[in-house]
Amino acid sequence: MPDTQWEVYEVFHQKARGEQHVHVGSVHAPNPEMALVLAKEQYARRMACVNLWVVKASDIHASEYADQDMFAHATDKSYREAYGYKVVKKVRDKETRELKELREPEDE
Amino acid sequence: MNEAALKELLFRLADDEVVIGHRNAEWTGHGPILEEDIAFSSMAQDEIGHAQIYYSLLHELGEADPDQLAFNRASADFRCAQLVELPKGDWAFSVARQFLYDAVETVRLAALSHSSYQPLAQAARKFAGEEKYHFMHGKSWIANLGQATPESRAKLQAALDQAFPYAQGLFEMTDADAAIVAEGLQAPEVELKKESLALIMPIVTGAGLTLPDAAPIEGGRRGRHTEHLVALLNDMQLVFRTDPEATW
Repeated sequence: MPDTQWEVYEVFHQKARGEQHVHVGSVHAPNPEMALVLAKEQYARRMACVNLWVVKASDIHASEYADQDMFAHATDKSYREAYGYKVVKKVRDKETRELKELREPEDE
Repeated sequence: MNEAALKELLFRLADDEVVIGHRNAEWTGHGPILEEDIAFSSMAQDEIGHAQIYYSLLHELGEADPDQLAFNRASADFRCAQLVELPKGDWAFSVARQFLYDAVETVRLAALSHSSYQPLAQAARKFAGEEKYHFMHGKSWIANLGQATPESRAKLQAALDQAFPYAQGLFEMTDADAAIVAEGLQAPEVELKKESLALIMPIVTGAGLTLPDAAPIEGGRRGRHTEHLVALLNDMQLVFRTDPEATW
C-alpha cells in the first residue's frame, strides 16, 4: 500500500518582532508552503502572531534518549547557575533598600 | 445617496458570505485531514463574521437586525449568487468553489476599500487580512491538487468546469448597478470580472488546469435560486425559527 500520510512539519511561532520563535507543535503537509498555510489556522488563530516558521521534522537531528544520562550532573554544578552566587543576596538587599527609599522619600 | 442601490449591494455581499460560510462549515468534522478540517472551518467562521458586519451596516440603514436578516428571510429575498448555495460536493468541488470565490472577493474588497460609503470602505479594509489568507489557502490547494496525481487533477478539473459558470454569476448585474457605479459605491462588475480573471488564470494554468468556455449562470442577484438554497436555509434557520424571541 502506498504511504498516504503527509510529512510532519514542526511549527515555530513568533509573538512579536524581535522575540524568539517558540516551538508550538506540528502539522502534516505535502510541502513547506502548505505547511505554512495549515500552521496558520492551527497555531495562530488565537494567539497574537507576526511570523511562523515550519521545519520538516525529518530535517531535525536529535540526540538519543538512551544517552539521557549524559545530561545528568555527577557533582554539584550550581556555580554554573546565577542563583548559585552569594552576590544574589546582596543584590536583593540593595533592591529592597532602593525600593524602600522610593516609597519613603521623606526619610531622606 | 441612492439608499436602495446601497442596500442591494450590501445584501449581495452579506448573503454571499453567510451562505458560503454555512456551506463550508458543513466540512467541520469531515475535512480530508484534521489540519484542513480546522483551517476550513475557521475560514467559514471568518465568512460568517463578515456577513454579520454587512448585515449590521444594513441594520444601521433601517433594515432588521443581523439575526433577523440571516435567519428570518425567505430564499427569494436572498441576493447571493447561485455559486455559494450549491452543495459542498466532493473536496475538489469545495476547493474549486472557494478558490474562485476568494479570488473574486480579493478583487471586490480592494475595490470596496475605495467605496464612497465610508462604513463599507472601512469594513472592506478590515477584511483584507483574513481574505489574503483565504486566497493563499485556495491557491495552495489548487496548485497541489492540480499536480498531485492524475486522479486529483481530473477531479479538480471537473470541479472547475462545474463551478466556473456559476462563479461568473458573482458579477451578475441588475437595475441597481448603474446607481452603484454612479454613486461611487463600487467599481463596475465588468471591471471586477476582468481583474478577477487576470488573477485566476495564471494560477489555474500554472496548475496544469483550464477554465471552461461556458456562459455565466445567473439569477441569484435577482432572487432566483437553485433548490439547494431552500434546503440550506431550512437547515440554517431551523433553530432560530423554532423560537424567534429567544435571547442568546
